[in-house]
Amino acid sequence: MTRTDPDTAVRVAGLTKRFGTFTAIDDVSFTVERNKIYGLLGRNGAGKTTLMQLLTGQQFATSGTLEVFGASPVENARVLQSLCFIKESQKYPDSFRPEHVLASAPWFFANWDAAFAARLVDDFRLPLNRPIKKLSRGQLSAVGVIVGLASRAPLTFFDEPYLGLDAVARQIFYDRLLEDYAEHPRTVILSTHLIDEVSNLLEHVLVIDEGRILMDQDAEQLRGSASTVVGKKTDVDAFVAGRDIISRDGIGGLASVTVSGLSEAERTAARAAGLELSPVSLQQLIVQRTTSTTGSPTTHDAVTATDAWSTHS
Amino acid sequence: MTDLMTGTAASVHPRSAPTRIWNVVRLHLVDRRTYIGIPWLIVGIAFVITVFIAQIIGFTTGGLGTPDAIEGQRYSWAVLSPQWYLVVVGVQAISFGFPLALGFGVTRRDFYLGTALLFVLISAGNALAFAVLTQLEQLTHGWWLNSYMFNALWLGLDGFWVDVFSFFVMQLLVFFVGASIATIYMRWRMPGMLVFWSALALAIVGTIMLITFTSSWPTVAIWFVAQGIAGIFAWLLVPAALAALGGYLALRKATPKN
Amino acid sequence: MSGPHHPLIESRQSLIEAGKPIFMQIAEQIENDIIDGAIEEESPVPSTNEFAAFHRINPATAGKGVNRLVDDGILYKRRGIGMFVATGARQRLVGARTEQFRTNFVGPLLDEAAKLGITPEQVADMIKNPTATERKANNS
Repeated sequence: MTRTDPDTAVRVAGLTKRFGTFTAIDDVSFTVERNKIYGLLGRNGAGKTTLMQLLTGQQFATSGTLEVFGASPVENARVLQSLCFIKESQKYPDSFRPEHVLASAPWFFANWDAAFAARLVDDFRLPLNRPIKKLSRGQLSAVGVIVGLASRAPLTFFDEPYLGLDAVARQIFYDRLLEDYAEHPRTVILSTHLIDEVSNLLEHVLVIDEGRILMDQDAEQLRGSASTVVGKKTDVDAFVAGRDIISRDGIGGLASVTVSGLSEAERTAARAAGLELSPVSLQQLIVQRTTSTTGSPTTHDAVTATDAWSTHS
Repeated sequence: MTDLMTGTAASVHPRSAPTRIWNVVRLHLVDRRTYIGIPWLIVGIAFVITVFIAQIIGFTTGGLGTPDAIEGQRYSWAVLSPQWYLVVVGVQAISFGFPLALGFGVTRRDFYLGTALLFVLISAGNALAFAVLTQLEQLTHGWWLNSYMFNALWLGLDGFWVDVFSFFVMQLLVFFVGASIATIYMRWRMPGMLVFWSALALAIVGTIMLITFTSSWPTVAIWFVAQGIAGIFAWLLVPAALAALGGYLALRKATPKN
Repeated sequence: MSGPHHPLIESRQSLIEAGKPIFMQIAEQIENDIIDGAIEEESPVPSTNEFAAFHRINPATAGKGVNRLVDDGILYKRRGIGMFVATGARQRLVGARTEQFRTNFVGPLLDEAAKLGITPEQVADMIKNPTATERKANNS
């Protein structure tokens, strides 16, 4: 058995994946610490699924190194037995019913908890003996979510697992994930574009955009790392001069500028100058970051960038 | 934070290779209908139809049980009726089983070995069952109805063990051909299919041309007769093995696509 | 889980707001509950996991909030049982909050008053008779 760092689940360095001339993952480096919940966030087509396929040995890297629990996951039975990859587009044999999935899952996941799975089936009201082909989109997602939770794999990937799940079912998913994670800590990588819904569950955030890691930060550091300053344009401009401006907006004589890192004294100063300060949610922050960097001439314009996120905050 | 670290799920006891491979077999068989239920249902339906057709043949040839009537039933393909379904099962073992198994953290190698083991086991089971049924059919003179379904085509001519062997090879070939075609599609999609089917068609047409232009058809016929049933099926092991090996090589680098 | 019946959790009305570190919000909420007596000294505080489940937040984040209060000596750990409010915690919190009140509210108040030529005595008078002050302001 190889040496494994007890604190590290994933270590990636210079990872690149090309499909022909298209670079899906572009020289990416990061680590994932064990027993934390990570958010892998990014717009559609940013490379989230490809990255997870690489981490689970389903895709082959073009270059770079990739270690999961201390070794390459590709065709590595020891590593792969510790992984569970739930993806939105998971295929099942034509004749399968949910009962077949739940009957076979324990053969592959050593930590499988059948009682927990049964409880989740009740929670999601999943009909066990209906052919999978005839399940609704939400019920199909529930099958994946149940496997992902009840498998208790040391490293679990959820790739947009909630397609078709209604708000109640998504909340059940988040609640069960938190409860079970608290009892049985493990590494979870949750890929989603519903950032507002999951942001409080995350301990660490990885933002990927056009195949590159744009942010790799502790979620708590990110929260409160930016503020929006609103007020008369002249006052706002004077206050934000020389600061790290994340985004800028305005109408008439009013300006609204998001800046990073304000100290308590600076906040007091801003209020004293008659400016209004409002917090920036994780989703707003990420949308603004991805929008501003992709606003470069060669890529999409800012409007489509904002549309790509569900910005119902 | 300390109260958080109880009952960790951070480690897993690794399972041995034989266990992992056997689990793939079980995964394919978790829905018994696919490999066992439906094929035997098809055999059952084919048998009922065969009994009816036997009556018709008997009526037109002047009585059942005459050598002519038995010989007439030998041209029935009813005994192979589940094979059309089983070639599709071979395709689906890869096209649906592979993405599912990889999602369950199975390596490509373990998946392929497990799938191949399943094919061997099902083929052996079917071969034994069909050979036994062939013998029973002879003993009961066509199930006391003079209806012969299993003593058809080449089966029941050269004895029990030749039946077992030939059916086993035929069944393996059906599974592996289905599986390797699905694997080519999985790995190379439509371009792969195009190349594969064109190459196959060219090879067949080319062989026929070669034999025709060299006026070798009599030689070929003599060769086939000389091989006997066991010999021909022994030769069919070659394409079965090629399909199995080719499928493995293609699958080793395949990725389940969405 | 005894969580939902715990006085601290029952008293919880506010939810987590966006754009502010959650562990600070958790710590502040526990502090508020200690200050207004919803949770008494030497009584237990819900576990990290109970906080996490109730607020639907990451347990590590909840733990960070609780640990901050442990570092400040407001809470203390009893091995194998859980977290408890330290004796004297309320007094210390009230003291600290009073100090914050002075800098965050009284200071700016007096600064503004000075700008307008209002003496601290007049301010005190306004506070004592808020309605009278209001009428006077409206009349002028």
